Amino acid sequence: MIATQEVAEMDLSTGFTAEELRRRRVASRRLAWLLGGVAVAIYVLGFIVYRS
Amino acid sequence: MSTAPSIEHDTSHGQHADEHYRGGIMYWLTTTNHKDIGTMYMTFALIMFFIGGAMILAVRAELFQPGLQLMQPEFFNQLIGVHALVMIFAALMPAATGFANWQIPLMIGAPDMALPRINNWGFWLLPPAAILLTLPFILALFGIGDGAVNTGWTLYAPLSVQGGMGVDFAIFSIHILGISSILGSINIIVTIFNLRAPGMTMMKLPLFAWGWLITAFLLIATIPVLAGAVTMLLTDRHFGTSFFNAAGGGDPILFQHLFWFFGHPEVYILLLPIWGLIPHVVSTFSRKPIYGYKAQVYSFIAIGLLSVVVWAHHFFTAGLPVAALLYFMYSTMLISLPLAVLFFCWIATMWRGAMSFETPMLFAQGFIVLFGLAGLTGLVLADVAADAQYHHSYFVVAHFHYALFAGGIMGVMTGVYYWLPKWTGHMFSETLGKWHFWLTVISFNLTFMPQFFLGLAGMPRRIPDYALQFVEFNAISTVGAFILGFSQLIFAYNIWKCVKGGKKATAKVWEGTDGLEWDLSSPPPHHSWEVQPVIK
Repeated sequence: MIATQEVAEMDLSTGFTAEELRRRRVASRRLAWLLGGVAVAIYVLGFIVYRS
Repeated sequence: MSTAPSIEHDTSHGQHADEHYRGGIMYWLTTTNHKDIGTMYMTFALIMFFIGGAMILAVRAELFQPGLQLMQPEFFNQLIGVHALVMIFAALMPAATGFANWQIPLMIGAPDMALPRINNWGFWLLPPAAILLTLPFILALFGIGDGAVNTGWTLYAPLSVQGGMGVDFAIFSIHILGISSILGSINIIVTIFNLRAPGMTMMKLPLFAWGWLITAFLLIATIPVLAGAVTMLLTDRHFGTSFFNAAGGGDPILFQHLFWFFGHPEVYILLLPIWGLIPHVVSTFSRKPIYGYKAQVYSFIAIGLLSVVVWAHHFFTAGLPVAALLYFMYSTMLISLPLAVLFFCWIATMWRGAMSFETPMLFAQGFIVLFGLAGLTGLVLADVAADAQYHHSYFVVAHFHYALFAGGIMGVMTGVYYWLPKWTGHMFSETLGKWHFWLTVISFNLTFMPQFFLGLAGMPRRIPDYALQFVEFNAISTVGAFILGFSQLIFAYNIWKCVKGGKKATAKVWEGTDGLEWDLSSPPPHHSWEVQPVIK
């Protein structure tokens, strides 16, 4: 089965609860900071790592 | 195929959307709606596409005949460099990000992007960066300053260490564009990981979202390397360091390593979103499910991983050790395997399908055939022994335009024609779309096919004059380029006409569509998924 065939069978009666949305937003912010930190670390490390 | 009914929104919804629209410049400056930001990205990309295109038409006009007709070599070099930077960073990448903004929330059942304010900021960094890039070039037209960056988009040292103020403008512009790309990438990764509809596992994710996910990781891994390289370039130019200046003990080849560590994945950054969108289009117009979903996902991942370990094939002639030459040759050729898997899956999706050839499908077919030529000529260039002949010739120019125009821009056009009715709620003119397709395909080949022969015959790139044996192919190429350039006006007019009105589009738009986004109305409501879909 491919993805798009399965997603067609939707149940529209339920959604995220407020609690679930809040949890996802917190997780989103945390992941965003982590990814941003990785990008900055790659940039900064280039100047620090000594090239023999 | 999808059998789910379209989600009906109550009749007051248009009024509801109007309540959100405040109008005026402040609305667009502050909007955090993913569709608005997607529209801004696409509009910006289209404008920059025409600006970058105009620059290269001036170059082709100069190359129509040997000798110097219209401009001095310094200005010619500026046009070449700014054309490439504009097309890559200000046209193709923003277009792909525009697709992501519009489509990813719709396709994964998210109400919006996860970080809407960063999304807004990511877009509004682009116009100042584009101004920085083109301003010295425009000033030079009026005799102010020494012009724009004249090193080509690769900014190779030591030329860039010695260049004029245009290099500094380009360095700052690249920093800003890089920040914008990283913010966009973070947003896309976070949205895909955290805002998928309940039940949408990673292996149910639409291929377009998968393509963008790999792209976003590549951007986060490689943009900081480019930023580091151009920062070092800046300190070499103004603060007495010698990272790349041989006179001070530096190494110009180090710049090539750092640049292409970013530059080669950049090719895949531009193409992976397109490879993600093509299966959707091919499946729709073949009225068959996507063939080899998992194979395509694994191919995306394999291409993403391989793309960061092959960079030195761009400078085989710089004097690398033989072991390095062999490694980079074989690793480069290895990429053709997952890429071939993608081609086979696209063809297998069409196999025995009930195909029809509306404009998006025509562009998808054009993409598959012409991008195939880019892949095959790429294999030729990956060969170390052969590359000594092809390097820095027009063969390379032809190859990467088959990759980035036929693969990138025609891919973007495929997506625009495919999703435009969904975005605007109107159908575009099929007649104009078909005229646009055929004029584009014919003139594209007229422009770039002769350049393969010019390169094979030894014509070097980035030179405004050439020997007499290259006259005929250059004349043909210039005629093709002008037809290609002006035929894009049909594209812009068709979009404009579609935005302003036309036949109403249904929710599903095309007969064979499949996926969440087609269950929303055309155009989708202001908040895309007011009721969270659950995938079973």
